[in-house]
Amino acid sequence: MSRPLEGLRVLDFTHVLAGPFATRCLADMGADVVKINSVKRAIGANDPLHPYYLMWNRNKRALGLDMTHDEDRRLCQSLCEQADVVIDNFSVGVLDRWGIGFEKVKESNPGVIYIQMSGMGEGGPWSNFVTYAPTIHALAGLTYLTSVSGREDIGIGFSYNDHQAGLHAAVAILAALEARRDTGAGQHIDVSQFEVGVNFAGPSLMDLFANGRAAEPTANELPYDDACPHNCYQGLPKGEGTLGERWIAIACMTDSQWQALKSVMGHPEWAETADFDSVAGRLAARAEIDAGVAGFTANHEVYDLMARCQAAGVPAGVVQDGEDLNTRDPQLALYQFLHKIEDVSPLLGQTWADRLPIRFSQTPCNIYERTKAVGEDNVSVLGDWLGMDEAEVRKAESEGRLQ
Amino acid sequence: MSGPLSNVRIIDLTDEKSIYGAKLLADLGADVVRPEPPAGDPLRRRGPFKDEQSLWHIFFASSRRFVCIDLPEDQSLFHNLLTKADLILTGPEGFGVAETDFDALQADYPSLVVVDVRSFGREGPWKDYLAPDLVAGALGGAVATTGDADTPPLKSFGELNFMVSGAYAGIAGLAGLYAKRRNGAGQVVDVSVHESIASCLEHVLMFYWYHEQMMREPVLPRRGSLHWSNAYVVFQALDGGVMVTPTPDFDRQLAWLIEEGVQEDLIDPKYDLPEHLVERIMKTMDILKRWVATKEAEPLFLEAQARHSPYGWVIPLAQMAENEQLRARDWFTQVATKTESVKGPGAPYHFSQTPWALGDYGEAHPISDVMEDIGWEVAS
Repeated sequence: MSRPLEGLRVLDFTHVLAGPFATRCLADMGADVVKINSVKRAIGANDPLHPYYLMWNRNKRALGLDMTHDEDRRLCQSLCEQADVVIDNFSVGVLDRWGIGFEKVKESNPGVIYIQMSGMGEGGPWSNFVTYAPTIHALAGLTYLTSVSGREDIGIGFSYNDHQAGLHAAVAILAALEARRDTGAGQHIDVSQFEVGVNFAGPSLMDLFANGRAAEPTANELPYDDACPHNCYQGLPKGEGTLGERWIAIACMTDSQWQALKSVMGHPEWAETADFDSVAGRLAARAEIDAGVAGFTANHEVYDLMARCQAAGVPAGVVQDGEDLNTRDPQLALYQFLHKIEDVSPLLGQTWADRLPIRFSQTPCNIYERTKAVGEDNVSVLGDWLGMDEAEVRKAESEGRLQ
Repeated sequence: MSGPLSNVRIIDLTDEKSIYGAKLLADLGADVVRPEPPAGDPLRRRGPFKDEQSLWHIFFASSRRFVCIDLPEDQSLFHNLLTKADLILTGPEGFGVAETDFDALQADYPSLVVVDVRSFGREGPWKDYLAPDLVAGALGGAVATTGDADTPPLKSFGELNFMVSGAYAGIAGLAGLYAKRRNGAGQVVDVSVHESIASCLEHVLMFYWYHEQMMREPVLPRRGSLHWSNAYVVFQALDGGVMVTPTPDFDRQLAWLIEEGVQEDLIDPKYDLPEHLVERIMKTMDILKRWVATKEAEPLFLEAQARHSPYGWVIPLAQMAENEQLRARDWFTQVATKTESVKGPGAPYHFSQTPWALGDYGEAHPISDVMEDIGWEVAS
């Protein structure tokens, strides 16, 4: 059976990560995502030769449009009439200037789902602010909270909120499609990446409002739940420096898991005090527990130790980096989660993809098409969407358009 | 309810790994029933609390109908309830999940969409591994990427890993529903928490796969707030942190530094040459660090944004309640509970026609009492 979103037409004006990640998810599930790009804009993260672009734009068809050409703008308006979904993460107003703002598109396409993913959303004193994920992390409290108290801020080490803004946009689009099934009507959806980010501190914000308690960074401890030990511990190193370190996360969520960990450690004397039988006793001696566990793990190879802990019922996991995910992880290998894309890029050679982490039993999503260059699919897209023939498209290209 | 999913019936049997997905769909207007045992949902014991009520639960279990089901006594009622849903979201520790064969149920009721969210999927040597958020984040690659050389690898605050698997669970359910609307057939849809986390690591896989092309190392060490591009970092101002970046326009940043008289040798024409780009970034960051240390955080952030520079003030949670942007958008939202109303986060997306809304946070009722109210025609 075909993929779940087969036949859904998505016109994709997004760039960098948050927007492209939303449409990547839809494309992986079979939607016909047409990525609009232009040679003039194809620099940095918008350059199809840049690995960053490769990561987020597989499974999409590539159409080149030069919006300084009246003819390309007119084509773009025609494409909007055919789209189920129009999505952008430009600054507010760019698509309006191109004559494809929501109000305009809605006139000829009342079923369109038109989603805009700006940094701050429409309206408010910050609505024109320029943001990337590190900006949003800082403003949303995520940088402040993911850290160690008493030292300079750290924050999340990757653009978490961009991925999440993309996933939330995908949720919103699919929900709006369900609503359209009932009403026939499309609608506009305003996503503020900032609000998506603030939302992640939900319970802490409620605690702030209800109790006046403001959460502070807790390193690897849990802010509201009692668990000890609950930290990352060094194992036998594999080399020099920070990159040579090996760490294992151990999280005893219950007293019985602590007892099991004691067995794994061979019941060392420091751990045998009855004070540690309760989590309250362990929390009161957290530094001693951490030092004791670290003293144990320091002499162990972390994958072996993880297997022993898990066999004993202790939640434990190796702190895996990108190399480990590719070379050591048996789960990802089993599902071929990280794989080579068969269609070798004429310009770049071999490229890779991670799979959609969703597995449909009846509508499997196992197609991974390589990321395309600007305008590479001009003929097929304009043929399928607008019924243009190849000669017409090639003529436009020869006149310097569609690129 | 007025949300986009107001014609969708969902049974929420999620655990902590996917409850956020059920929340996303519930807040979009789906009729979501969350069963719990007579002793109460174990997730009602998660802090923080207001009086006796779990704020964690009020947030994550928003907009649900809570029904109390006593298994195995109410087994047939539970089974009948399940068959009336469009969509069932499950996690291994969720209510009734261990007692139910969902593959068989789906085979008997082929229009059902069942989403099954497990730590590592159904197969493999780690399939039964215990993976609370810290362990899930460690194995999935998020923890190694966070922290500094002088700290351990760090877990992100709160439930951020399970909010990723939750978001995928929501997408899985809605995509399954979309396919069902087209051809009438439901299906079982699996989501792996482990893969969910590994799919959202930004640069991590890119570095391993393309480091030669990028002329970088295959794995970056922990390096505090410094972004992989070397162009975004948090510096300490007089009264807190500011995320600082000379992007997207280095010349604009330079002009500002010249205005401030702190440009040092950055006006040297050599920095315009591509081969000196890395040196230019390093030099710029070095000057910015010393300059930011003389400034106050919030005014510096606002000044940068007025110049279209994407700086970000590192806002402590304590100050989020006063945030002028959120206030202007009237963003924080009240939830009515049985004793009072509690203020918390608002909508992550704003629909022009079918708005997001939080339902009341009610009590659990015996399933036999609420069936008529639900209108799902569940016979015992």
